[in-house]
Amino acid sequence: MPFESAWRLKEEMISGDLDPVEHAAHVLERIRRWEGSVHAYLSLRREDEILGDTGRAVERLRSGKARPLEGLLVAVKDNIMTLDLPTTAASKMLKGFKPGYEATVVERLRAAGAIITGKTNMDEFAMGSTTELSAYGPTRNPVDLERVPGGSSGGSAAVLAYGGADLALGSDTGGSIRLPASFTGTVGLKPTYGAVSRYGLIPYANSLEQIGPMGRSVRDVALLFSVIAGWDPRDATTLRRTGWVDPENLAPLDPHSLRICTPEELLEGTDASVAKRFDSLLGELEESGAVVEEVRIPVLREALPAYYTIAMAEAASNLARYDGSLYPCRPSTRPRSWEELVERTRTECFGSEVKRRILMGVYVLSEGYRDQFYLAATRIRRLIRNAMMAATRRCIVASPTGPVPAPRLGERIGDPLKLYALDVQTVTANLAGIPSLSQPMGRVMGLPVGVQWMGPSMGEETLLRLGLLVEEVLGYGRG
Amino acid sequence: MVGVKIGLEIHVQLTEAGSKLFCGCRSNYRGLPPNTNVCPVCLGLPGALPVPQPGPVEAAIAASMALGCRLPWAIVFTRKHYFYPDLPKNYQITEYEGAHGAPVCLGAVFHYLDPGSWEWRSVRIRRINLEEDPGRSQYGDGGIMASPVVMVDYNRSGVPLLEVVTEPDLRGPRDARSMVEYLLLTLEYIGATNPRLEGAFRVDANVSVGGGERVEIKNIGSTLEVERALRYEILRQTKIIEAGGKVERETRHWDSTRGVTRPLRHKEAEEEYLYFPDPDLPPLPITGKLKERARSRITLLPGEVYKTITGHGVGREVAWSITQHPPLARLYLTASEHVADKKTLARLLGVDLKGALKDLGRTPSEPETLPPPETVITLVKLVEEGELPYDAVRGLVLPKLAQNPKTPIESLIPEKAKVTDSLIEAVLMEERKALCDLLRGKKKALNYLVGAVIRRVGKAAVDPRAIRGMIEKKAREIERLCLEAESS
Ligand SMILES: [Zn+2]
Repeated sequence: MPFESAWRLKEEMISGDLDPVEHAAHVLERIRRWEGSVHAYLSLRREDEILGDTGRAVERLRSGKARPLEGLLVAVKDNIMTLDLPTTAASKMLKGFKPGYEATVVERLRAAGAIITGKTNMDEFAMGSTTELSAYGPTRNPVDLERVPGGSSGGSAAVLAYGGADLALGSDTGGSIRLPASFTGTVGLKPTYGAVSRYGLIPYANSLEQIGPMGRSVRDVALLFSVIAGWDPRDATTLRRTGWVDPENLAPLDPHSLRICTPEELLEGTDASVAKRFDSLLGELEESGAVVEEVRIPVLREALPAYYTIAMAEAASNLARYDGSLYPCRPSTRPRSWEELVERTRTECFGSEVKRRILMGVYVLSEGYRDQFYLAATRIRRLIRNAMMAATRRCIVASPTGPVPAPRLGERIGDPLKLYALDVQTVTANLAGIPSLSQPMGRVMGLPVGVQWMGPSMGEETLLRLGLLVEEVLGYGRG
Repeated sequence: MVGVKIGLEIHVQLTEAGSKLFCGCRSNYRGLPPNTNVCPVCLGLPGALPVPQPGPVEAAIAASMALGCRLPWAIVFTRKHYFYPDLPKNYQITEYEGAHGAPVCLGAVFHYLDPGSWEWRSVRIRRINLEEDPGRSQYGDGGIMASPVVMVDYNRSGVPLLEVVTEPDLRGPRDARSMVEYLLLTLEYIGATNPRLEGAFRVDANVSVGGGERVEIKNIGSTLEVERALRYEILRQTKIIEAGGKVERETRHWDSTRGVTRPLRHKEAEEEYLYFPDPDLPPLPITGKLKERARSRITLLPGEVYKTITGHGVGREVAWSITQHPPLARLYLTASEHVADKKTLARLLGVDLKGALKDLGRTPSEPETLPPPETVITLVKLVEEGELPYDAVRGLVLPKLAQNPKTPIESLIPEKAKVTDSLIEAVLMEERKALCDLLRGKKKALNYLVGAVIRRVGKAAVDPRAIRGMIEKKAREIERLCLEAESS
């Protein structure tokens, strides 16, 4: 990692070796240097405000009243509501949208002393896997500017990769945190469904998505997760559980107690070079005492179509509200009736991928097709959940995070099926509601690639401890 | 009206549930300026999430229990999609049988009293859905299709609504009206709704005559209108059939100003609601605890009240008159434990106090219009003991009590007339002949003198027995007046 981990920065700030204001100034300088070419932020707070906040953090750090994220700079994905900055989900539909309420996770960030830098780019309404489908232009991968950073939380991942924030929030509906982590050499966690409040997250597919932490090291992700996780009375789907992880006392897993399962269905279609890197990582873990077992879970072959069917159905429903009455985007000419307003607003203000998914979602929910598509998908989902619950009781389920390293811009978005195929490994965890951690496992053709670990429901701590072990084995995360 | 079949769909707002169904905004929005009873949740803003609120959920389960329903294992909410200006998410959170959904009532046989015939009747309830009410929209010229402006008030958006659907078991307009009234009364008894609030309920009715096609009438706003609309529609269908025509299956709108039903201008397209379970709302199991809390809301039901009052020997009309107003019924039941003369109590509350309130444009359905039980108990006791004639209660006390139910009892009872010794003496001096007759042992004279005293006092509330004693005593004292007269 070219930049220090948030955990190290935090330690240095507490010990007094690092001046938070000086640090913030460095981050702001990188933002100025990189944003022109990367375009990871959709909106940024004013520099003097960020520096002002950092100054106040200095006082708290000096007086020993530092909170868990005191003085750290955090970027927030643009589908998460913030009071001070607009929240647009990278859609023209919500240009400048500031509805005056804040996501629970953002409240928790502020209460923990975090300083928010800005809002990060994404695929419109989180529908995409490359961050090329933003209404405000694509984000490029700082590792290689000709390539995509992955999506839909590509802006957050890119910011971490070029040092434009210390930590970031993403959201993961079918891999939207993990794929960008894989493509940019960063770490991301898709939490157990219900671990993190979705209050204030602009919904794409409610039953699948979670807000999750992104960072440059496993302990960074543990730190941010410990702040945002926990029951929220404003989200009926959050779990009533406390004490998710203690980042301070998180030790690497003992490899001798580690059992890894690799379902062959999750390796089909993976680039040989990526599969090779994955195999060699598993070999290294085996050498240090872990047991690795190849397994078959045939129903996982159905995961991608089941995932897209459910996601599109929920999307069609969630996006019905954008009808030109309560939201900023209006048709270019004055409509003559309410019906025309709805039609023209939706035609003009949504991007084409969003419209594609709405139409398909309406189709799979329609009378006469619902059984064949939507209900069939929910049945497959149940089978996948059962299979994954059973598997993760015995072992950590592993696969490469994505089938390939970061593609070039334009390479995938021309063909929706090729685009959707990028999520083939990641959607399983969302369908099953189980946690999944993606972390770097090395480079292929000079590009970072990630490995993803899936654990039992509420098994975040085990995954993060495994992550620490892998960092040790690979010599990462020391920075 | 042979072969009339009526089924109803009754939408009742849970106005007394306290909050909206999924947020803390108020369940009763009346009197508030537009768009002041709103929050991100009931405005349907993205990222704001619905959370079932205890008040509406408990009220809905209580309603289901009070109507004798089979309860599902859980409350499962479903999204029903349609585009409409007053529906901020363009879907309504409701309940649906199928697509993994379940309504809050899985069926019941509901018993209701028909006060026309004093018969108990029954109707099958097919299901009851708990759902959110939309906002309210106003259009300019041309209505929804052509108006250049739509104004939407979201104060109502998210208010909990019960949709009660019956089987076509009702046999006539009067029957349908009685059923709706009894249903609303039951929901009022359990503190779920106040049916007198404007827009608290709406009724859609399905009618078929002689086995013909059924016609749906939408948008009926009061129980009286239910009867009127059905009468009109049955007549309309009967005429068509008598003329040899066939009734078409259609949806009609009730125009209460003109008193007619009319076909809806736009044929509704094939309904496509894209139902699926709301992923933001996990099934809410109806646990023993939840049932307990719901049951604690059902302290009293109209059937029990009516049977108790008639069991006291009170006539059906008066008993029903009291039963129709839950606060009045509660007052009756409390007071009846302390008085022997239940009929007088019933008459006092169900006929005369109610009448006095009505004269002032008030209703005993509002608890604050009613006096405390102590006042009522004291009045009935005074009547029982002969201290106060009932006519005085009706004519003098109740109008005051209707004006101000908190009036202290002392200032309500007509003052005991001051029948003093000197007054008696003055009367006796004047009525010397009667006095002397009395002293000679004529009993009639005593009655005459009592009357004379009462006339002098000019009040109804004097105790004739006491006056009698005073006269006898005073007469003996002034005996000599007669002796003098005789000797002279
Ligand atoms: Zn509200």
